[in-house]
Amino acid sequence: MDQPISAMSNGRDLAKNRVIDGQEFKQLIEAGTTWLRTNQQIINALNVFPVPDGDTGTNMLLTMQAAYSEVSRSGEHNIGKMAHFVAQGALMGARGNSGVILSQIWRGFARGLDNIDTMDGHSFAHALVEARNTAYKGVVRPVEGTILTVIKDTAASAEKIDLDSKNIVDIFEVLVDAADQSVKHTPELLPILKQANVVDSGGKGLFTILEGMLRYLKGQSLETALSGVQPLAAVGIEEFEEIEPGQDYEVVIDFQPNSPLNLDKFYSDLSEIGTSIQVGEGEGMYRLHIHVPTDKRYLPIDYTMGLGTITKVAMENLLAQMANIEKEKENKVPLAAVDAGQIAVVAVSPGHGISRIFGSLGCAAIVEGGQTMNPSTEEILRAIENLPTDQVIILPNNKNIILAAQQTVNVTVKNVAVIPCSSVPQGLSAMLRLDPDGKMDRIVKEMNEAIKEVESGELTQATRSIDLNGVHVEQGQVIALLNDKLVYSAPNLEDAMLGLLEKADTESRERITLFSGANITRPEINQIVDAIRRKYPSHEIELHEGDQPYYQFIVSIE
Amino acid sequence: MKEGNNPLGNIFISYRAISTVAYQSALQSYGVVGLAAKNLAKGLAQVLVKDPTLGVDVHFDNKTIQIDLYVIVEYGTRIKSVAGSVSDNVRYQVERVFGLPVSQVNVHVRGLRISNTD
Repeated sequence: MDQPISAMSNGRDLAKNRVIDGQEFKQLIEAGTTWLRTNQQIINALNVFPVPDGDTGTNMLLTMQAAYSEVSRSGEHNIGKMAHFVAQGALMGARGNSGVILSQIWRGFARGLDNIDTMDGHSFAHALVEARNTAYKGVVRPVEGTILTVIKDTAASAEKIDLDSKNIVDIFEVLVDAADQSVKHTPELLPILKQANVVDSGGKGLFTILEGMLRYLKGQSLETALSGVQPLAAVGIEEFEEIEPGQDYEVVIDFQPNSPLNLDKFYSDLSEIGTSIQVGEGEGMYRLHIHVPTDKRYLPIDYTMGLGTITKVAMENLLAQMANIEKEKENKVPLAAVDAGQIAVVAVSPGHGISRIFGSLGCAAIVEGGQTMNPSTEEILRAIENLPTDQVIILPNNKNIILAAQQTVNVTVKNVAVIPCSSVPQGLSAMLRLDPDGKMDRIVKEMNEAIKEVESGELTQATRSIDLNGVHVEQGQVIALLNDKLVYSAPNLEDAMLGLLEKADTESRERITLFSGANITRPEINQIVDAIRRKYPSHEIELHEGDQPYYQFIVSIE
Repeated sequence: MKEGNNPLGNIFISYRAISTVAYQSALQSYGVVGLAAKNLAKGLAQVLVKDPTLGVDVHFDNKTIQIDLYVIVEYGTRIKSVAGSVSDNVRYQVERVFGLPVSQVNVHVRGLRISNTD
């Protein structure tokens, strides 16, 4: 919507008029559209057919939006022309069955106003009759109990009004009332509505548009949803993206009132307890949905208890739910988006933290896998095929995975290069050479050089005793691997780490990057980092949470 | 003819029965004002005997039903939306009545009826 409705001239000024011009008609169209949007979900929930027209409210809203956007900028004062623009917009934007019928209604309405400058009561009634006639022409066997019936009844009521004594708002009162009665009568005409215990959704949509116009004329709000009842199915526990203060708990209560419910009182009493109040009704059962602050979470139950019998209560802590959603967001790996023609990198990652680091460096896809869970060629291939580009570089990050990665080259039509990096540090240093818009050959060459410049070490627990490469290892000791070769073993992590760094000739390097594993605690990590800092005070030390299994540390020495 | 299984014997449903249901539901769809024959000669014969399957072709591949509809649409409606809802409606009704899955409903718009010019 281009202008909020409050910024426009007030509907109440219009109400006492006896004629409407094109600009005023535009305001009414906007009001009807806004009110339809506010009530869209209520209308959607009225569906009975599982297949045809699954989302009437949305379809009608899209049709009305198209109609309104056709006229939103128009300065036309001739109502006949304005109505034709509306009809044209509705026709172009007609969605679904109900949208098509709605567009026909507007088309007929516009025909009824042909060559008319301003609409008075008589021409309004005539336009509604034309709208009905045109709507009925579109179908051979009209089904009654639908939007067609509602336009028919509304037009019939317009024909009966004593038009000369009424102003616009009075006429709308009569029409909206007739439409309301007609909608309520639809289940009597269409058995399937009665079975589902709902009124016709398209008819309700048309009523809602007219009601929105009336509310505008009366100066009532168009943004807050109807304080009426909804079908039971429409009210339930939802998941929220964000919550407002005072909405700590969501309470849903099913109950059977002892005496007929006074809805207005019910709503006003509840609005003192909480917000987001919705009430659903079906077969004598009511469902109340409300958001309340923590200290008031039992009040809705006490209150409804006084009205009747409670059959079911569901309560959900929205704050905790939000915390979960936040946590899930944190766990998401941020992957880089690639466009067709760019170079994308697929990295195999042994742990969540490492995936995140690869993601933050511009990696486009992650395949999970590592020492004990090597991904198959097929898994890597799937990651390649899913990317929107045909230039892909794979970082296997483990020597056991290089072969599987290389096999993908033969089975895909894409231009794929495998960088034979056998550890995460190598993969990361290759990753730093990525330029998504660069030349594939050059980048692959640079990456291949980059992986040679980095020493990568790993610390893990020995699973058995062994003598290898001149190193004696007892089962349970911490062993250090440098570039995949066993170089050192020690009874504790600290000694093993320092031994590893010594073997890697750290003295002549500048930077040590540590990736802590999933199986190590914060205090242990701090202790190791402190020990390294004491021994290599002038080196740059970086620490990342890698979350990889089995390896307490993966170390990169550059 | 097609069959369904029943502990006491077989159920045979004729193409004609399916066509009739499709024909009726097509005519109940908003925007469709008639059905038209696929070819003229056949159409003439069908019009003469008031065939309730005019403009409907039904195929069955032992698993699913495919339906072709030849429709006339009211001028001034959005044809894409009308075609979408007629195919939804026909599919829904045929599946509901016969309990056999409908895999395709092809809607062929054979003409427009102009009752109002704007």
